[in-house]
Amino acid sequence: MSHDHSHDKAHDEGPPSEYEIMSRAMQELLVAKGVISAEQIRSRMEKFEQDFPYRGARVIAHAWADAAFKQRLLEDGKAACSEFGLDLEADRLIAVENTPQVHNVIVCTLCSCYPRALLGMPPTWYKSENYRRRVVREPRAVLKEFGTEIPDNVTVRVHDSNADMRYVVVPMRPKGTEGWSEQELAEIITRDTLVGVTLSKA
Amino acid sequence: MSEHTKQPHDMGGEAGGPIDTVDHGMKFWERQANALRNTLSRSKIVRLDEMRRAAEDLGARYYELEYFERTTHALRTVLLEKGYFTETELAAKMAEVRKRYDDA
Amino acid sequence: MTTPSAYTDAPTRRFSVGDRVVVKVSFPPGHRRTPHYIRGKRGVIERVCGAFPNPEELAYGFSGEPKRVLYRVRFKQLEVWPDYAGPDADWLELEIYEHWLEQA
Repeated sequence: MSHDHSHDKAHDEGPPSEYEIMSRAMQELLVAKGVISAEQIRSRMEKFEQDFPYRGARVIAHAWADAAFKQRLLEDGKAACSEFGLDLEADRLIAVENTPQVHNVIVCTLCSCYPRALLGMPPTWYKSENYRRRVVREPRAVLKEFGTEIPDNVTVRVHDSNADMRYVVVPMRPKGTEGWSEQELAEIITRDTLVGVTLSKA
Repeated sequence: MSEHTKQPHDMGGEAGGPIDTVDHGMKFWERQANALRNTLSRSKIVRLDEMRRAAEDLGARYYELEYFERTTHALRTVLLEKGYFTETELAAKMAEVRKRYDDA
Repeated sequence: MTTPSAYTDAPTRRFSVGDRVVVKVSFPPGHRRTPHYIRGKRGVIERVCGAFPNPEELAYGFSGEPKRVLYRVRFKQLEVWPDYAGPDADWLELEIYEHWLEQA
């Protein structure tokens, strides 16, 4: 599975910011008052680091390998993931499929809604103001900044996850992967292809 | 069409500059802040909608803060509204936390 | 492109897949999940997402009941941005609550 954690910091350097102190203080007050436990925080951190980021590739690999599962995924993303053994928690998932005629790309212009229980935390570029401003209006130019060029005879569909649904792109399975196991397929499925800013390659 | 009520967060379609396409990941405190927010929303202590609203209410200050600063600010607003702690309690705890960092 | 089946069942709803709709032009203050850029634009119902508590009320601590029907609406990019610099066939799709939609 291609997911690079090398940019996540294990320990923060330098003095803490006002907001870091604020967050820590709120957490400690709530734990002291018995509203939450330190164990809950630790457990969620672990889920976000060790579980969620690896799920998307496995689901898409399974969809590539099993056409009937792919169809169920496209019809009801959450139910299909549940069938696959993954509880997406609060995420109501819509999977959108790339085809030779259509390319999909996802954004949340109003904040940063993202299928966290399927993909983990969104990348910094997804939350950035320039992505949120521009991708709904000039998606092809934005995709070029990611090194992705979509020909004019392919429709670009931009999905703004502005309300209660969450989205994942089902990329096209690259040529040259015939006969690969799901594990081998999962290894070439990157997070960026599941948001739609890059194309899958073998 | 009236523009006067558009808040900074409602930015779809605005002109923007180049995108930093590198994922810079998250600092430790940001991951912990995310876990805090997530724990609270899963327990239904706060609602995501309330936190979004509190972040949006930053108005002109929206762009002064980074993403996790905004979400922390929003969480503070909502928890104060709901009476989980007072401003005095929070200030005191923040001073204590700050001192711990300074002494370390 | 296949028309997706209804994502979850909505109790009573005004619109069905394929209906032509227009997003209301209105600028109420407070938390809304209908971006400014889509207000007044015409599109087609792409799917019925289901019925959810109204986020505009949840944001302020209300129950958000009775639930409101949420639709995914497909817009042509050229309809949304008259100066859109891409092919006619490009689309922009958003989720719009029923109370923000009118028949086109």
